[in-house]
This record gives sequence, structure tokens and C-alpha cells, in this order.
Amino acid sequence: MSTSSTASASFGRRFLDGLYLLGGNLAALCVLAILVLMIAASMGRVFEWRVSWINDIVAWLCAAAAFMGMAYSFRNGDFVRVTLVLESVSPPVRRWLELVSLAVAAVAIGYLGYWAARFTWESYEFNDIAGNMVAIPIWIPQMSFVIGSAILVIAVLDECVCVFRGGKPSYVARVEERHARGDFSEEM
Amino acid sequence: MGLLEIGGLLLFLMLLMLSGGVWIAMTLAIVGWVGQAFFTNTLPGKNLFSSFWETSASWELAALPMFIWMGEILYRTKLSEQMFDGLSPWLSKVPGRLMHTTILGCGIFGSVSGSSAATCATIAKVALPELEKRGYDRNIALGSLAAAGGLGILIPPSITMVVYAVAADASVIRLFLAGFLPGFLLMGLFSGYIIWWSLRHPDKVPPPEAPTTFMEKMRRSGSLIPCSLLIVFIVWVLVAGIATATECAAYGVVGSLAIAAAGRSLTWENFWQGLVGATRVSCMIMFILAGAAFLTKTMAFTGIPRELAEFVHSMNLSPFGLIGVLVVVYLILGTALDGISMIVLTSAVVLPMIQKAGFDLVWFGIFIIMLVEIAEITPPVGFNLFVLQNMTGIDSNRIARVTLPFFACMIAGIGLITVFPSIVTIVPDLLMGVAK
Repeated sequence: MSTSSTASASFGRRFLDGLYLLGGNLAALCVLAILVLMIAASMGRVFEWRVSWINDIVAWLCAAAAFMGMAYSFRNGDFVRVTLVLESVSPPVRRWLELVSLAVAAVAIGYLGYWAARFTWESYEFNDIAGNMVAIPIWIPQMSFVIGSAILVIAVLDECVCVFRGGKPSYVARVEERHARGDFSEEM
Repeated sequence: MGLLEIGGLLLFLMLLMLSGGVWIAMTLAIVGWVGQAFFTNTLPGKNLFSSFWETSASWELAALPMFIWMGEILYRTKLSEQMFDGLSPWLSKVPGRLMHTTILGCGIFGSVSGSSAATCATIAKVALPELEKRGYDRNIALGSLAAAGGLGILIPPSITMVVYAVAADASVIRLFLAGFLPGFLLMGLFSGYIIWWSLRHPDKVPPPEAPTTFMEKMRRSGSLIPCSLLIVFIVWVLVAGIATATECAAYGVVGSLAIAAAGRSLTWENFWQGLVGATRVSCMIMFILAGAAFLTKTMAFTGIPRELAEFVHSMNLSPFGLIGVLVVVYLILGTALDGISMIVLTSAVVLPMIQKAGFDLVWFGIFIIMLVEIAEITPPVGFNLFVLQNMTGIDSNRIARVTLPFFACMIAGIGLITVFPSIVTIVPDLLMGVAK
């Protein structure tokens, strides 16, 4: 993502950024839904509504929040890594290290996504039903795992191409922007 | 190949990938995969899927985004200005005067926030310029802010404690309750140092401000009431056992939203930004936890931790000796790793060792969290140092140097909870009954 091309961002660029943002926003809505359901559950105990189904839904929403937002979070530089060596080597060496890391990540996430898809497919074929209070086919909540890792693979490959062409990875650029603004709300 | 050699090989692979810049969550999962694929007879793909799914689809873990969100909301309010204004009139008689605002401010903000860097940044944003304007010593202000920021993760609620509880399968509520006394202990040690320093350097402490009447003090502290109510509410809900830790987190979010709305800093944009920010951070942490769960499974299959625990056991270290060794190991790890990674990286191996030596898991949780706090202020990678460097432009290594006295206070604190473990266990034992 070189700065000169952002002015006339291509359709592909806008589509990909939109995809990550969509995943991130869906994850944020899951977190919002967790809040609402949690309050409902504790109210429910007071007013003796039947709320035992909420715990299952909250668990699935938690998984969906984790998986759907992965790519967005990755691109924003929220994934932690040790930058001690990266920051002390020369720019060309750093570029190669970034490329190797991204290649390793692409293979690892690809593998994760493959197994996520394979087991979710098995859940679908054998029509596995969730065991607890809510009896829906388990592949429905598991789809968030498949979709989330698919988006993450795309995001990692995207960065790979960007660094290969000599650009600065967006997970580095975004963190620099954030810290320049003095925003540390996202560091632990 | 013996188990310890395999362990060494996996450790080498992990360090290689970490230093090369591979993301920590992925490193954990890859090392776990190598261990399972080459040294066990299980199918890594199936275990990978179940580790990731079971860790993430968890009702307990839903507390994590809630506590992070709560901090994000309060970070965007005017709480830090109100904190300085409300605390300063009460401190004119104490040696060191307004310098204590950093410690108290971090302590109070820490009890509504679960993050160390956010606590440090929030309090420093206001306290640093105000203290400097009044002519207080900058080194002490910087040192106390860097160190006291860590109270954010020791005084509940604490994101780090939720992570430890998931990794160690310990009770979140017990951990939260156990954090209070050690948190107060550290505040006492920090403030004690400031008092001692001020008595020795009376010339460096500016004169008190014009005395204020009691009513005036109360009026200026009025803005702290909503925040105190939120703290009291969270503690009450935890102690009374009305809500689970997760539900209490959800109420914390509602309370923070109310505080933000009352202070007129709750815009639609702020709300959405806080929510998205919290989601991104929780995504990152949950990914690390899932990777760590997979690595833990590998460790269980290979039996390396058991072997290592036996090995340490056979060395006949006294419990204090073992703790001493662990302090050194975590201090070294803390120079390069962030707190959450430090906990999940080591839990698979260290926890069996600790249990074998007869330590309580909750006690060890507090012990490790105090070490994580220290990790935040040890260079080259210490997040509170980065925060302060960014806010003041002073080099982080210089900030680390002025933090040294407070570093010593923290080591003293760790020594105290090791010699008197009841500092940690007494509150949860009293309120929830002795465990097991």
C-alpha cells in the first residue's frame, strides 16, 4: 500500500479493505450482543425468565468475535510480536525478515483454515447438534471460524504482496500512526 | 531423544521464530504443531481445530472483551482531569504532597481499568504537566507513574488475571479478590518511598498550595463520586456473588457508559471507536490463548512438563529457592516479552512444577502478575516506558533509570507476599471460604 496509490485506490484494494472492515465490524457487533445478552441473563435470574440458553449463545458470539475480527486486528498491528531484532537490523534485512514471517504465517493460517473447514464440513455432513441448551446444528456457529480464518489468510497474503513490492506493511504503519497520536488504549 | 532434549529443541524453535518477528500467537501454535506431528502419535489437525474452537467458544472468556471495553470507554472520558483535581486538595499535609497523586490516581483508575499501559497513559496525561507546572521533581513523577501504572493489572478487574485464570484453570473471582491487598501493599511501598525521599530532599518539594476549606475539598472531589461508585459496585457484585465475573464485567461496561454520558464525552463516534478498539484487542488475546491451548495440549501429550517438574523436584530446591529461580527467569523474559505472552508461554511448563512444589495457583497468579508489572518497566521492551517516552520525549532508558527505586519497591513486595503468602490468600479465603 504505497502512499501514491492510495489517491486512486484500485477496486481490488477497496474491496479487500472493505472485507477486513466488514469482518471487524461484525466482530464488534458480536461484542455488543454479548453485553446485551449478559445483562439480560442476570436480569433474567432476578425475574425468573428462562435464560439458560443465553450461555451457549454468548459462547458462540465470543468465538465469532474472536475469529471474524482476526484479519482486521492483524492489519491494524494489534497482534503482538517481538520487534527487538526487527528494529535493530538494516531496512533490507528487515524486509526479508518480514517476508519470511509473513510466509510462515500464511502457511500456518492456511493450515488452520483448512482444518477449520474440514471439521466444520464433517459437523455438517454428520449433522452434529450442539449438545447443550440450544439444539441447532453446530456447523452454523463453527462457520465463523472458517470464514474468519479465510479472511485472515487473504490479509496475510495481501501483506506479503505489499512487502514483496517494497511497501511498508500496514500493521507497522498503523501502529506508528497510533503512537504518533499518543493513543495507547490498545496496549496491555 | 529424551524428553528434555525434545523440550530444548522446541524451545529453540520458539525462540528462533519469536526473535525473527513471527507473531506470538502463531509461534505458539506452530511449535505445538511440530511437537505433535513429530513426537506424538496424535493427529495435530484435529487437536488444532478443537483447541481453537473450545478456547474461543467459551462463556468465561466473554468477560475479556467486556473488561477491555470498559477500559476503552473510560480512557476516552475526562476521568483523568477529574482525578487530579479531586485528589490534590487532600494531599497538602503529606510529605511529598502532590507527588502522591500519581500513585493514588493509578490505584483508583486501576480499579476500573484492567490494563497497565492504559492506566499509566491516562494518569500521566494530566499529572505530568500539572506536577511540572508546580515545580515538582520530574524524575520522581516519571518513576512513580511508570511503576504505579502496573497497578492497573494488579487491582481488579484485570485483563491479565482473566488470561491467567483461563490458562491455569483457576477461579477468576478468587484471583480478583486476591489482588486487592497486594495492590494496596504496593501503593503503600511506593508512597512510603516518596515520603522518605521528600523528607530527605525538603528543598525539592514545592510549598503547599493555599489551604482550602473542608467543603471546598469535598466540592472538588465531587467529580470522583461516579468513579468511586463504579468501583464499589464492582467490588460489591464480586463479593456478594450476585453476578459471575463475566456478568460483573458487563455491568462495568454499562456503568462506564453512564459515567461517560454524564461527563458528556459519550458521542456515537466515541462509543463505536471504543467498541471496535476493544474488539481488536480481544481478538489478539483470544488468538494467543487459542495458540497457547494447542501448545499446552502438545505438552500434555509429550509429557515434557511432568518430566521437567520431576527434574526440578529432584534438584531438591527449597520452595523459596524455586521462587527465586522463577523470579530471575521472569525478569529476563520480561525484558523482551509483554505480560500476556509471558504468562501463556510459560503456563504449560511452569504450572505443573509449581503445583508439585505445593504452591497455591491463586497465589502464584498474583506472584506472576507482579512480575508482569515489573516487565512493563524493564528495558528494552517495557510498555509503560514506551508510553512515557512517547508522552514526554525522554528516552525510555532514562525513564527506566528513574524508575529503579520503585522497581526495588516491587521486588520488596514480591518478597513480602512470598514470606507472608496470607497477604494474597486471606481475602478470598475469608469471603469465599478456604479452597479445597
